[in-house]
Amino acid sequence: MKIINCPINGPRPLQEFHFGGEVRTMPDPAELTDQQWADYVFNRDGEPGVKREWWYHVPSGTWFIAERDNRTDEFLRTYLYNAERTDG
Amino acid sequence: MPHRLLKFALSKKHPEPRMFRAPAGLKSEYDAVIIGGGGHGLAAAYYLAKDHGITNVAVLEKGYLGGGGTGRNTAIVRSNYLTPEGVRFYQGSVELFQDLSRELNLNLFYSERGHFTLAHSPASLRTQRWRAEVNKHLGINSRVVTPAFIKETVPEIDLSVGGQQAPICGALYHPPGAIARHDAVAWGYARGADRRGVEIHQQTAVTDIEIRDGAVAGVHTDKGFIKTRKVLSAVAGWTTHITKMVGLRTPLVIHPLQALVTEPLKPWLNSIVVSASLHLYVSQSSRGELVAGASLDPYELISMRSTLDFAEGMSAGLLDLFPCLGDIKVLRQWAGLCDMTPDFSPIMGTTPISGFYIDAGWGTWGFKATPISGKTMAFTVAEDRDHELITAFNLSRFNRLELVGEKGAASVGH
Amino acid sequence: MDRRLPPRNGEWIDRSRPVEFRFEGATYRGFAGDVLSSALWASDVRLLGRSFKYHRPRGIYSLAGHDANVMVEDGQRTNLRGDLLRIAAGLDVRSVNTIGGLERDRLSITEKFARFLPVGFYYKAFHTPRRLFPFYENQMRKVAGLGKINPTNEPPCSPKNYAFFDLLVVGSGPAGLAAAIAAAEQGLQVLMVDEQPRPGGSLGWQWARDAVAGQHLEGLLEQVAAMDNIQLRCGTQAAGWYGDHWIALVDDKRLTKLRAKSMLVAAGCFEQPAVFQNNDLPGVMLGSAAQRLIHLYAVKPFDRAVVLAANCDGYRVALDLHDAGVEVAAIVDLRHDGEPTKLGRDVEDAGIAVHRGYCVYEAVPAAGKKRIRAATICPLDRDGTPRTGSLTRIDCDGIAMSVGWSPNGGLIYQGGGRFRHDERVEQLVPQSLPAGLFAAGRANGVFDLEQQIDDGYRAGLAAASHLGRFNGEVPDQLIHQAEPPSHSYPIIPHRGKKNFVDLDEDLHLVDFSNSHQEGYDNIELMKRFSTVGMGPSQGKLSNINAVRILAKLNGASINETGTTTSRPFHQPVSIGHLAGRRFHPQRRTPIDDWHRKASAEMMHAGDWSRPEYYRIEGRSREECIFEEAKNVRENIGLIDVSTLGKLWINGPDAVRFLERIYTGRFAKQQVGRVRYGLACDETGVIIEDGVVARVAENRFYVTATSSGAGAFYREMQRWAMIWSMNVTLVNATGHLAAINIAGPNCREVLRVLTDVDLSADAFPYLGLRQGTVAGAPATLMRVGFVGELGYEIHVPASFTHHLWTSLMQAGSQFGIRAFGVEAQRLLRLEKGHLIIGQDTDALTTPFEADVAWAIGKNKSFFVGSRSLDIMCRKPLTRRLVGLVFRAGQINSLPEECHLIIANGEIAGRITSIAPRSTLGHAIAMALVRPDLADVGTIVKIRIDNGTLIEATVTSMPFYDPENTRQ
Repeated sequence: MKIINCPINGPRPLQEFHFGGEVRTMPDPAELTDQQWADYVFNRDGEPGVKREWWYHVPSGTWFIAERDNRTDEFLRTYLYNAERTDG
Repeated sequence: MPHRLLKFALSKKHPEPRMFRAPAGLKSEYDAVIIGGGGHGLAAAYYLAKDHGITNVAVLEKGYLGGGGTGRNTAIVRSNYLTPEGVRFYQGSVELFQDLSRELNLNLFYSERGHFTLAHSPASLRTQRWRAEVNKHLGINSRVVTPAFIKETVPEIDLSVGGQQAPICGALYHPPGAIARHDAVAWGYARGADRRGVEIHQQTAVTDIEIRDGAVAGVHTDKGFIKTRKVLSAVAGWTTHITKMVGLRTPLVIHPLQALVTEPLKPWLNSIVVSASLHLYVSQSSRGELVAGASLDPYELISMRSTLDFAEGMSAGLLDLFPCLGDIKVLRQWAGLCDMTPDFSPIMGTTPISGFYIDAGWGTWGFKATPISGKTMAFTVAEDRDHELITAFNLSRFNRLELVGEKGAASVGH
Repeated sequence: MDRRLPPRNGEWIDRSRPVEFRFEGATYRGFAGDVLSSALWASDVRLLGRSFKYHRPRGIYSLAGHDANVMVEDGQRTNLRGDLLRIAAGLDVRSVNTIGGLERDRLSITEKFARFLPVGFYYKAFHTPRRLFPFYENQMRKVAGLGKINPTNEPPCSPKNYAFFDLLVVGSGPAGLAAAIAAAEQGLQVLMVDEQPRPGGSLGWQWARDAVAGQHLEGLLEQVAAMDNIQLRCGTQAAGWYGDHWIALVDDKRLTKLRAKSMLVAAGCFEQPAVFQNNDLPGVMLGSAAQRLIHLYAVKPFDRAVVLAANCDGYRVALDLHDAGVEVAAIVDLRHDGEPTKLGRDVEDAGIAVHRGYCVYEAVPAAGKKRIRAATICPLDRDGTPRTGSLTRIDCDGIAMSVGWSPNGGLIYQGGGRFRHDERVEQLVPQSLPAGLFAAGRANGVFDLEQQIDDGYRAGLAAASHLGRFNGEVPDQLIHQAEPPSHSYPIIPHRGKKNFVDLDEDLHLVDFSNSHQEGYDNIELMKRFSTVGMGPSQGKLSNINAVRILAKLNGASINETGTTTSRPFHQPVSIGHLAGRRFHPQRRTPIDDWHRKASAEMMHAGDWSRPEYYRIEGRSREECIFEEAKNVRENIGLIDVSTLGKLWINGPDAVRFLERIYTGRFAKQQVGRVRYGLACDETGVIIEDGVVARVAENRFYVTATSSGAGAFYREMQRWAMIWSMNVTLVNATGHLAAINIAGPNCREVLRVLTDVDLSADAFPYLGLRQGTVAGAPATLMRVGFVGELGYEIHVPASFTHHLWTSLMQAGSQFGIRAFGVEAQRLLRLEKGHLIIGQDTDALTTPFEADVAWAIGKNKSFFVGSRSLDIMCRKPLTRRLVGLVFRAGQINSLPEECHLIIANGEIAGRITSIAPRSTLGHAIAMALVRPDLADVGTIVKIRIDNGTLIEATVTSMPFYDPENTRQ
């Protein structure tokens, strides 16, 4: 079983986590055409590569961001949402 | 013993020719290029040649024939879906399957075993009844059965599921539910396509797709460029690689799905048994192995690694259902890739790019659709318009927010 | 005849403990420590099994479980491996997959038809005419399969273990022992496992004739024993490697899940067979098997032997046989230069004839093929062609093969290592190993004993270095200097087509060329078509020869031809071990005990266990439920609703947050008021509903559905983060319990227990008050899910039992009764309240569910709002409506999910139905086509027997439409 580094609780086994899908930024709904909105709602960046994803540590209720390679399942970095782009 | 086997005994040399040629090289131009030498791509090639007379076709496969989902699924065929669109489509597949061994002159071991979808709760039983009613309405042999009927048909089953969980309170029963020899389906279509002039190029990877003015102009491969105006992408779990090349956005996400096989046993399990609550489906192959698969892995991954969690969870579920299997041993586990859609229905047909056709979104239901997807996609490629059986599955449904409601039935949809 | 040798050093059997056992109905004797195969061979039994397809006689082959020749069952367990099954008193086993017993197996007739049944024959026949296939399939299924299940077996319960180590060393041979010591010397916590019952690996059998091997074994084991930080577990296989060094260890009793920081594979090699005619019959075995028989089990393998060799190991085998009293008739060496070392001279000194540049062309069977009686040998050209013009026959009852090795590399593959073929050793060796994964010994192509120890030590240091525990220089890996230990093509063609490449699947050489001829010309296709490597031993003894054959057919190198991957498990693992104790956690409310004592019929509701209804002697389920509901309407009822999700949303942004989460508006909601909350996902589909209560200006208390609360809370947390809201979310679902008291008399009952003013003016409908009830600090909400005057009382979980019993007691004079989930479902249906997931599905919008009234007017945004904007501009495709059935219609009523049919088309479905309601007639909710949704429309529902039942669309609620009672 993989180990994921929760930014709050440290390395914990995968079983304690819930996958929350890719990080998507919601555009302003009022500015969008119906098609653009549908694109935001349904379409995903399913391509192979390093992805920014939501993960949730279930026992502690912690959402965080993971950078993960979806080809190798390697977690490159994990950090809290509001702490993104800073190392550590 | 069938007389066909006589020829083997009577001839000095092995009397079988090549199933499919190994073409020397790529031509510079084809009328159509099919990406993906799995069941779907090969079936599409076969029907393009047979139904539409289009034979100047190349099937490009980066690995070997049937090496993706075709060879990794648990080989179940059924049509007891929830939506009328789904039922009609998969029933088309079942009907083609039933005659496919004869049509391809290859024994696909198409074996009608009967398919149980167990219900462990009134809510689940409701969904099964919904499916049964839609099925019956469309002429499909499908009905809700009692626990007693299940026990009579599969006496080894423990209706109390080990006593710690919700007991089995009924099932959707679909007598035509079948299993087949999955690899042979790909080989049979490959041979049929090959005999009609289609070129099958294994170990040939597509590196890019040339688009000019919103239309397909050609395909770049690791063995050179091919001119073509029609490209069919039939690569299931690898679809996001291809759609990236043409800049097409889709809702597809890729999850692994795992399966395992036990040591061979004398026949005891005739039916196919599915339990959504236990996240498992199991059947016994003609070789005697129990073949069991799970629901999707819980997160996206484009890799076919195995996990111990799966083997443990699957074993627990098997033992819950069949308490006598404790000493039976698991031989091997493996994984395949599932390209999932939000509504658990495929994405098929034309796309905004002229000449680019997509056959994807096969999630956990790709194998059973092999013949009909081949047939309908061949039509779509030949006629440049969606076949009537697949109009509901066009990619544009997401733009219109008109999803197909298969999700209710397919949480473990095998 | 007893083939047991005199006692010898290092033997695994305990001669002081004889063991009697039964095999195929006859009684035999062995010793504790024997496996079934060794004990039988010691008793001169050579027919130990039958092959899968042709039912050919089979005997000992690897004696290590690398083949599947000997598979037995004892009536309870099946497919037991004779090579691995330790004998014990009372053991009574039979061979699997025979008809009429092993000796006279009637299925051996299959071999007579072998020429009709070439590779893949079953694809070519039996499929037409279609109607006959089920018959053929049935026949084939009967002959296929190995063991039989015993349907009366009880499920086992084998608890799992966990282990945590710095380093796992797989294999306790010379390399593994040295590696463990090297790593432990640097302070690593080391676990070493060996699948055999005793440590030492090849030291115990391959090198046993060298005194130095014994000294090494003793010395290394002493060092290991002296180190506290090495734990040695024998009889334990490392069955599979998974992400981040999560490794399945399996022994007789259980699965142990190991978390290691690194793994070192020193699991040696599988000795590989040569392919020649009848190379599968009893008496033909691997050289290592003969050595295991002699050294581990003290059994004389043969009386007169031929050794087929292509490396120095074969010469050791010959000498071991010679020393054990076997007459070694000849060494047949595939190599033209033979063995120009001391071993070669020792063999000559022992008087053993050596035929260099020769092959065994065939093993000559005795009548019945249950033994061999000779080996036919002939010169072998340097291009691998046997010169069959000059065949020589050598009488013998055994042929030992030592022609090469293939790494036991499954764990390395699984761990992300890749192999390449190295011509210096003519075997696969690791090409790349990911960080934290190490290989040592023969897997690296290192065969010399001293070098294996050195390589183990090196790898152990490398592991320590990887973990930052060793800063010195890790020595370079050694390179094999001598002759390759493996022959490049130990495969001899024969027109007799009984030269087996895969013994599990009865595949012989021509099957491969035939597959190739048919176009299955790459390894993966060939594997799938021929089924090579798919049998119970998973290709341990066939994969590399298959690759060699294919490479030759394609005129390609081994590296170009490639190898297949390896997946768990190393040896098959029982479902019982993998399943373990099968925990099924279940949530129970704080008064679960009370319900059970009160004869509640408990039901599973997601993770929760809840009372479905309370049984009454002599009444049917339906009557009980109906009476519970009726009592709520007429008197007073009490239901445990502790399973509801209970969340606090506090903070300055609470209103803004809720208005984004829910469809409704909350800004103007007064403190002390409760509103309905409806939530959608981004696609506009209904996902949740509940109540939203304002407890203070910036404090809200919300409820959510029992099954959806966890996910809803999780999504709320994420949105709060994304929207940077200043809110605190607390999931109090387990901390708080809730009881709903409802019915015309409930105010009277509650009044005596609470300090809250319950009068209609002071505590109106949809009001919230806080106070005490029966002394418990409580939040009361006046809500009407069941359609009567009612209060939902939320208290800390520890007060639940007290509160519940106090209410029951206070209500006794008013006829209070507990009611269960089913009565509640009936009551809510009468009141027209929908249940998410039953009256809605995965695509239902608020418009369709007729709850658009819950969408706040002129809201700029809530989750799903933009999608609903789009949908409200499209024509509706279905609507949730109420249906009433003719009064008096009791039989032939639809069930939930029966379809509404209009003009032969599906036009909707029943989502909820109450065949018997307190209104006196059946009622239902249904999702129907909009053209059928007008009140008064008569719709037709098809029931099980196919008839159409009429019902009339009506407005909801069915009960108390003026809302006077709640």
